Amino acid sequence: MSDADLAYSSSFTVDSMKVIAESVGIGSLGDDAAKELADDVTYRLKVIVQDAMKFMHHSKRQKLSITDIDHALKVKNIEAQYGFIQPDSLPFRFASGGGRELHFIEEKEIDLSEILSAPPPKIPLDVSLRAHWLSVDGVQPTVPENPPPLSKESQKLESVDPITKLSKPATKDAVGKPVCGKAARLKASESVHVKQLATHELSVEQQLYYKEITEACVGSDEGRRAEALQSLACDPGLHEMLPRMCTFISEGVKVNVVQNNLALLIYLMRMVKAILDNQSLYLEKYLHEMIPSVSTCIVSRQLCVRPEVDNHWALRDFAARLMAQICKTFNTSTNNLQTRVTRLFAKALQCPSQTNNESGPSMVASMKESEKTPLASLYGAVQGLAELGPEVVKVFILPRVRWLGERVEGALSGIGGADRLAAGNLKHQLLKVLAPVVRQLRQPPDLPDDYKREYGYLGPSLQQMVSKQRTSPAGGGGGGAVAVVACTPPLLPAPAPAPAPPAHAKAVESVASRNVVITASPTPQSPAPSTPPPQKFVIVASQQKPQQTQPASGAGHIVVHTSQPTIVRSQNVQSMVVTSGPAGAQQPQKMVVVGVHPSHQGLQASSSVTGVSQAPVSVLAKSVFARSGSGPQPQPPPELDDLSHLA
Amino acid sequence: MGDKSTPLLAVLQLLRKYDLKGTEEILRKEANLGDAEYENLDLPEVELASILTAHHTESDPYSYEFAYDSLKKFVENSLDIYKYELSTFLYPVFVHMYLILILYDHNEHAKKFMEKFGPEQEDYYQEDLKRLAVVENKDQIKGNELAEVYNTNKFQVQLSRDASTQLKRYLHEQKSSPVIINIINNHIQIDIHDGPGRTQAQVKATVGGLLGEASRNDNRTKVYYGLLKEPDIQVLPAPIEDEDEADETPDKPKKKKAKKDNIFMKKPKSDPNAPPNDRIPLPELKETDKIEKGKALREASKRVQLGPDSLPSICFYTLLNSGQTAVCADICDDSTLLAVGFNNSSIKVWTLTTVRLRGMKSAEKLQDIDREAGDVLVRMMEEKDRDTCRTLFGHSGPVYKVAFDPFKTMLLSCSEDSTVRLWSLQCWTCLVVYRGHVWPVWDVRWSPYGYYFASGGHDHTARLWATDHHQPLRIFAGHHSDVDCIQFHPNSNYIATGSSDRTVRLWDCLTGSQVRIMTGHKSTPFALAFSACGRWLASGAGNGEIVVWDMSTGLPTATLPPMHSAPVHALAFSRDGTILSSGALDSTIKLWDFSLISDESSSEESGMTNLTQKEEKFLLRSFATKNSPIKNLHFTRRNLLLAVGSYEGSS
Repeated sequence: MSDADLAYSSSFTVDSMKVIAESVGIGSLGDDAAKELADDVTYRLKVIVQDAMKFMHHSKRQKLSITDIDHALKVKNIEAQYGFIQPDSLPFRFASGGGRELHFIEEKEIDLSEILSAPPPKIPLDVSLRAHWLSVDGVQPTVPENPPPLSKESQKLESVDPITKLSKPATKDAVGKPVCGKAARLKASESVHVKQLATHELSVEQQLYYKEITEACVGSDEGRRAEALQSLACDPGLHEMLPRMCTFISEGVKVNVVQNNLALLIYLMRMVKAILDNQSLYLEKYLHEMIPSVSTCIVSRQLCVRPEVDNHWALRDFAARLMAQICKTFNTSTNNLQTRVTRLFAKALQCPSQTNNESGPSMVASMKESEKTPLASLYGAVQGLAELGPEVVKVFILPRVRWLGERVEGALSGIGGADRLAAGNLKHQLLKVLAPVVRQLRQPPDLPDDYKREYGYLGPSLQQMVSKQRTSPAGGGGGGAVAVVACTPPLLPAPAPAPAPPAHAKAVESVASRNVVITASPTPQSPAPSTPPPQKFVIVASQQKPQQTQPASGAGHIVVHTSQPTIVRSQNVQSMVVTSGPAGAQQPQKMVVVGVHPSHQGLQASSSVTGVSQAPVSVLAKSVFARSGSGPQPQPPPELDDLSHLA
Repeated sequence: MGDKSTPLLAVLQLLRKYDLKGTEEILRKEANLGDAEYENLDLPEVELASILTAHHTESDPYSYEFAYDSLKKFVENSLDIYKYELSTFLYPVFVHMYLILILYDHNEHAKKFMEKFGPEQEDYYQEDLKRLAVVENKDQIKGNELAEVYNTNKFQVQLSRDASTQLKRYLHEQKSSPVIINIINNHIQIDIHDGPGRTQAQVKATVGGLLGEASRNDNRTKVYYGLLKEPDIQVLPAPIEDEDEADETPDKPKKKKAKKDNIFMKKPKSDPNAPPNDRIPLPELKETDKIEKGKALREASKRVQLGPDSLPSICFYTLLNSGQTAVCADICDDSTLLAVGFNNSSIKVWTLTTVRLRGMKSAEKLQDIDREAGDVLVRMMEEKDRDTCRTLFGHSGPVYKVAFDPFKTMLLSCSEDSTVRLWSLQCWTCLVVYRGHVWPVWDVRWSPYGYYFASGGHDHTARLWATDHHQPLRIFAGHHSDVDCIQFHPNSNYIATGSSDRTVRLWDCLTGSQVRIMTGHKSTPFALAFSACGRWLASGAGNGEIVVWDMSTGLPTATLPPMHSAPVHALAFSRDGTILSSGALDSTIKLWDFSLISDESSSEESGMTNLTQKEEKFLLRSFATKNSPIKNLHFTRRNLLLAVGSYEGSS
């Protein structure tokens, strides 16, 4: 009733008339006159709007536009209101004062000279025509041009309330399989039809697709894998296969963790990434399978056969980033996803003997080796937390830094090669994630002693990092600029790398090089918008990576170990890491070259960091040493050669 | 004019109406009425009648409310067999009471009356009520389109004999309040039919028109809805052997082909419902047209048979970057060209095949061509290939409809600038501007044989034109509101129009008279389509409903449930007449089982019994697009469905 009231008798008020009269300079409008005017204006306006609706209908629109009003005026032989072109709806502003309330449209003054001097606006794109199959013999193909067969909302509804499926009339609107044919005949013949809550059977095509995709994703052909991942990330209509895909991933992770098959784990994580990227899927139902798999890949004790050689760190980094993405996308106030994930990682960082008490770090040293969380898991937990943002780092990592430092110190001074490597990486990672946070927390001056007192073993290094970041403009800007970290990894008496030709795209795994390469595409999930810690050694120029490069073409990412002072000749290289090590026990420096510009082929020992993101040359090196180790580098497993996609 | 003189003026008008000049003179002198007022003698009928008969009720606005309430109670308490028919009375009585209240300056009462009883009127009248409620005082009645329509026309109500007796008895009892009797006398036309009262479903199927239902007498004329006999002229030497029969029957390529394969040698029985071929003069086929017809038949022989088990494939053409500018689209009969009319007055023509659009040579160059040459048609075109898209400029307002002629040499377009333009697809220029409509032209369609075309517009008329006349051949007037859509019957003898008065009418091109008036739409029809056999007419309306009409009776055969949630702007029958496809602004295309619809209606001739329950199964499939409202649907000769829509961005 109240609705109808509104519809039948909405009208202008006398006050509106008076305000309008004032605005055109008529100061004293009588009440009677205003009333008459209000009635008449209401009537005329309604008639015009009703006429304008006709024009809207015939323009095959459902939204009234200004041109419709113009045409309606024209039909009434009234001059149209030229010049009011507004594609979007105009917001009404509200103002009150002096007991009067006013709704009005803000009219900004426009400086004509500004418009004249401004560059002409871009010409809109011309109308173009594109054809696709909406239906083939009554079945809608699931191509990107068509809407997803089951919208996200209905997928959600179905998962929350499966009963709705029963109440819906058959499959007329859903576009998976046609109702005709065998199914329809069956339906007709059976007198009792038991409706199932979920369809479990896949069509032959879907089975084939599933087989092809899973094979390609974990197979050895990189090209096919790229295609398969692309399909997973873009194709609508995968929702029916989603349960199987998720089971495939979680089972795959379980098996391959036990077998320490790093390559397969990486492939599975890439599948997770692709599925996460698919816009048409409602994934909430399957998070219980995805999250354990992903977290396994972050904090597992061992992920590869030879921890001292294989680069499982990249997998942990990648999985941590996936976890951050999951948290960001799916966290709600009801599932508390991020809280639970954070708790998981924080637990890993806790010293096992004492749950919450942080006061006696020295006790840890006395603990048995076996009780300790492995360093690799610690690394993973740190990385996982770091991806969740600086606030998390501050709360969960910073208080434990003293204890962590002791662990690192212990491992570095110990013997096991793998442990030392792990400790080095952990230390490096800790420094990297902590430095920006500490920098925000503390005021200069940064005194090494203070740091030492507060942060224990890691204090001095942290102080170095922080002070370096304070001086470096790129680090201060905080954006996606280049942040180069000179770290001092402990050098093992490692076998010298086999010299690789620079144009060889197969990145040769180095013992010491943890971060292999970072891809050129800007990472969408930067952990914290405000002051993101540098995610990597290097963030490469943001130019878009061209089509998947051929391994032999020399483009792509190069990791070079050479005993010569290096001159990189390739110009197509987007990023490379050159590690040169000294023969002796001197501390090696890592040199990172980003976005090599043709004119800067030689590596200059310059410590300047350019903040320019387009084709920059960012070279930072303290010294260039030739690593003259001897002995062949063990050939890494072939599947591991290209980790560049992980970034 | 003062209140006092109003009755006098009314009397004057009455005297004048009956041509009683002497009395009129005397009265004018006595009452001292000046000439100026004398000129104003255009009181609406309603006023005149009310003043003269129900003069005394003027002072009592409450009597209206009371009278309406009592009528409502009478309807509610009557037996079920009368109830639904009688309930159709309520709306017109309500409307006229409101208008009378306003006429006597009881504006406040009128407003209250509207607020009290307005919401309980039927849903489909609410839109009209909103328009009517705008009228809030006497002066506004005169200018208001809707109020004028109600005042000058009688509302049609159909009652069974028994129901009308009931009503009479009731009115007799209510002597004290003559209000309703006055309204019924002046504004309601009661059409009494024998037989039992109709059920709710039956009533519901036909009510909804602006002025009530169509009376039975309106639809008595015989309509020749059959197809024309195809002239037996040998058009071409058969290019392929098994297609010689195809060339035999060039005229209606669309539908006959499938049957003809077997019974070709037999002369097709002449359809008893078909009009004589020379009922209206049809254009002679030109040589090129014959080639085109031959091609069409060869294509048609490869047609896929459609049915519920073999649904058509749909190829969707998406207009990208068009924003809200694309208005209408059309695909030519052989599916090689697509034309789109835009908001910004331009028309674009795309080729849908690899054949590029070519223009004709300039006049000087044309003179050099040997006219006797066999390939003169090829030679007169420009040699070098041109674009895949061409733009036609000429209109000065949004283009509301574009239409290809059957031989794809010409294009028609109609626009907000109230003109219809004829374009050549060879020179790519405008050939003729047809002026005649006063206001925007909403729709224009070719006759299936070419030469004739029909247009309908905001001026409430539909017009029949021939390409070589700058004046319309026929003007079909009768609709009470805009003619929103128009369609030629496949035999070219009739034109169907749909209007904002929620009626669909059929007009005879020969006589120019109205032969069918079909009511039952609850919203404005925006799309019309004749079935291939010519008997059925489908119309899609603004509220998403689709009604199928039987041309032989003028009654709705089936009202398809409003599965569409937005106005239906495109309808197309498959070439074999088994599938009806509909496209709407809600970005979906739906396929309906038309063979089932037509079978059922012919099996149960009684008409509209229990059709409602079966409506569900008529829908075969629904296809959603990605936020692309459907502008046009077209079945190719091989029964592939082509659809055109413009992508409106993700939202």
